[in-house]
Amino acid sequence: MARLIGGLGTSHVPSIGVALDRGLRDTPDWKPFFDGYIPAQAWVAEAKPDIAIVIFNDHGNAFFLDQVPTLALGVADRYRPIDEGWGPRAIPDFVGAADLAWHLADQMVERHFDPMICREIEVDHGLQVPMELVFGRPEQAWPVKVVPIFVNTIQYPIPTPERLWQLGAVLRDAIASWPGDERVIILGTGGLSHQLQGSRAGFINQQADRDWIAQIGPNPDRYRRMSRQDYIETFGSEGAELIMWLAMRGAMDAEVRTVMTHYFAPASMTGAGMVLLENLGA
Amino acid sequence: MTVVLIPGLLCDAYVWQPVLARIGAAKVADLTTQRSITEMAQSCLDATPGPLQVVGHSMGARVAMEMARLAPDRVRRLALLDTGIHPLRPGEAEKRAEIVNFANEHGMTALAQRWLPGMVHRQTPELMADLTQMVERMTPAIHARQIEALIGRPVAAEYLPQITCPVLLVVGEQDQWSPVSQHRDMLDLLPNARLEIIPGAGHFAPVEAPDQLADLLADFLTLAPEVPETPLYRRDLADQGYALNKMANSLGRPDNRAAFKADEAAYLDRFDLSAEQKQAVLDRDWARMVAMGGNLFYILKISAVDPVPITAIGAAQAGMEHLEFLQKRLGKQING
Repeated sequence: MARLIGGLGTSHVPSIGVALDRGLRDTPDWKPFFDGYIPAQAWVAEAKPDIAIVIFNDHGNAFFLDQVPTLALGVADRYRPIDEGWGPRAIPDFVGAADLAWHLADQMVERHFDPMICREIEVDHGLQVPMELVFGRPEQAWPVKVVPIFVNTIQYPIPTPERLWQLGAVLRDAIASWPGDERVIILGTGGLSHQLQGSRAGFINQQADRDWIAQIGPNPDRYRRMSRQDYIETFGSEGAELIMWLAMRGAMDAEVRTVMTHYFAPASMTGAGMVLLENLGA
Repeated sequence: MTVVLIPGLLCDAYVWQPVLARIGAAKVADLTTQRSITEMAQSCLDATPGPLQVVGHSMGARVAMEMARLAPDRVRRLALLDTGIHPLRPGEAEKRAEIVNFANEHGMTALAQRWLPGMVHRQTPELMADLTQMVERMTPAIHARQIEALIGRPVAAEYLPQITCPVLLVVGEQDQWSPVSQHRDMLDLLPNARLEIIPGAGHFAPVEAPDQLADLLADFLTLAPEVPETPLYRRDLADQGYALNKMANSLGRPDNRAAFKADEAAYLDRFDLSAEQKQAVLDRDWARMVAMGGNLFYILKISAVDPVPITAIGAAQAGMEHLEFLQKRLGKQING
């Protein structure tokens, strides 16, 4: 069976990718943010995962508003980084773990999650940026294959927090039932608190962000029970992306160890950071 | 879940304005064509598919109860305001026939003058004028049909115990027409109800105490998320902004970006934008674009053509200077 070696929650702000593209990594605005990921990169390099399951939302790049899947699963062999309007980015294509992805498709539908199945699709900063933060920016190829899972968090109705928790439970069982011996890391992405739209734009809740990072490992139930309204009030309209971390957390054991955390605000307009979790039995 | 608001005798969407302003999208039922409570209930059910939360005032509440009887699986929540369940009283049919004749002979203005004063506790000239105008929008024929429906009303007391969904009963404390006691009778029969009494309001509580009533309903109804100053991208914005977002989305392609740069106005003409939306794009008026259904994730592609920091777009929406926005909203430390 495949082995889940860790769960990682992280922001996926587009400006992070832009900052890397423009060589701003070591400027005062960005250096503390990027430096905070160095220990996690070292941990991941040591843990040597083979596959990353990345749960993220597309930002109107792969899907337009003409067709909005609440949940979509990539089963492709290759995913190209999408041009979001700033031009193509100099990062390698992502190689898909198609075998595991089809297994996830089977297991999800068996357990009454019915994703749109995508065999040709590009991926935006929602996947690109977490990969760069966790694995650095490779010259030639990414060190892991990926399985992208797209969640609609833009057009309402977006799925409920509890639903994404349940998705995590399904992914957990699906990984455990996969006959391969791959080492899998699961990435829940998005957040932390931010709001891009309306006169409340610029809303950041640093205290709630710090609580989230400290508590998502040991006390996830409080976040499962929150409504979408609660998420928007607490974390801002786009901060509600944090529900995607619940899928990561739901895929982990009830008891986990918080290996490391990092928080920085503001990264562009966003409270940004990460948490790395390990199953206690691991 | 769709909210249906059902007005009472001789009433229309006017009585629901404060509630509509608070809860956003809702359907207001039209009871001007039917001749029975059951027919009214059926037409409300037919007009809106799917599960419903139904709010009825006065006669509209009798229709709401009937909807719950006809479609118990679809009616998920009921709010019943200033109403009753008593069957026809001795002499009621004769009294009602007399008032139908009165309306036929003297018209709606005369009817409003005769009928309204006993219904309203907080009488202000403005409110009475608005209510009179509402009655004047009706006709003697509508009045006659609605009275016919009320005379033939079903015996709701018989099926109230079977209505198991959550029910909110609300009555103005000074409602002389449908007094508090009638609502206590309903509370006794309904297995899953609570009663709220609004002090200082009469039978027209929805417009006499609009804020209290809107508060009660907003709290009771299961609504989609609603956060102040936060435009969530739901159907209304999606409808309004579709062409704008489609145009913005097209700028993800280099050839389209080039065409846009070459002649913005001509490029915008390829899409079905309103004149205001076009102007907002030409002016790079981010707050207006968002107000007209633009979604940031799409209109960011406009900002990528001639780059604007996203924080400047945020500041424009917050109505703040950029530096002030960075410091006050985002908590950024600015040196020097």
